[in-house]
Amino acid sequence: MNTAKNLDPGKTGEMSRPAQTMFHRVLRAEARIVRDTLTDIRRRFAAEIDEDALGRLELVLAEVLNNVAEHGPGAPDIGEDSGEETGHRAAPLIHLCIVRLAGMLSCAVTDDGISLPAGCLLPPDAPAISEIDLPEGGFGWFLIHDLTQELYYYREERRNFLAFRVPVSDETAPPLPEDQDGQFSSD
Amino acid sequence: MNLIVVPDLHQILVTIAEPRLDAAVATSFKDRMREIVSTSRKTVLLDLQRVDFMDSSGLGAMIAIHKAMPDGIPLVLRGLTPNVERVFRLTRMDSVFNITTAPDQAREAG
Repeated sequence: MNTAKNLDPGKTGEMSRPAQTMFHRVLRAEARIVRDTLTDIRRRFAAEIDEDALGRLELVLAEVLNNVAEHGPGAPDIGEDSGEETGHRAAPLIHLCIVRLAGMLSCAVTDDGISLPAGCLLPPDAPAISEIDLPEGGFGWFLIHDLTQELYYYREERRNFLAFRVPVSDETAPPLPEDQDGQFSSD
Repeated sequence: MNLIVVPDLHQILVTIAEPRLDAAVATSFKDRMREIVSTSRKTVLLDLQRVDFMDSSGLGAMIAIHKAMPDGIPLVLRGLTPNVERVFRLTRMDSVFNITTAPDQAREAG
């Protein structure tokens, strides 16, 4: 991929910028589908993002997407315990979009599952560690906060909207336009 | 959930032969491991070398297994890959688990 000619100062305007790698998918919030999606995301960004950042992106998205799966109306735990009817409801539908920008991966996730509890959006403490009564859960949101920047959430009618950034080093990536001639038109 | 269990004189070596310890397999992993460790009278050495990815549900399963160990019987983890090590480190669970970086001795046999 030759990006050098795209950076020719003689060529100006949006169209001369190298394309930013993106990933977009609509998926059901089910553990197996989440797993396949994460594998596809890794494949999409593997050529231009270092292994450390790929690992952080994958972990954040696993936590976000599995949260939707675990707390959605079709969640298997609910179905098993409370009778037939809840087990037949479809899992929430997730829309996922990731864009590679300078220094970051910008992620947006929306779903039609239940509303997030207010507390999970505050920067949390790690679950208290006590040898006697170790917590087996509660780590998901802690990891999400730890690995993201500029985490935003809002709910509109029946959908959750979550947006965040995962910082990425640009050193291993193909050169991106410098600030003076490569500003992003919309942000 | 693919686990390879090799007991010997001193320990039970359990190798997780899965690339991912995630929400899709966490429950079956936890249940299988509880069966293995609950009656163990020897150290359980859990080899994670083949696990490339673990999320918080995988960690939750690990903690459940840790709690299911009989009194006085150690659970030792080894072969943590970078993505797995990160989850232990960020959640500070690396201070709770016995994690060894010692080279493995019993691998060639398999």
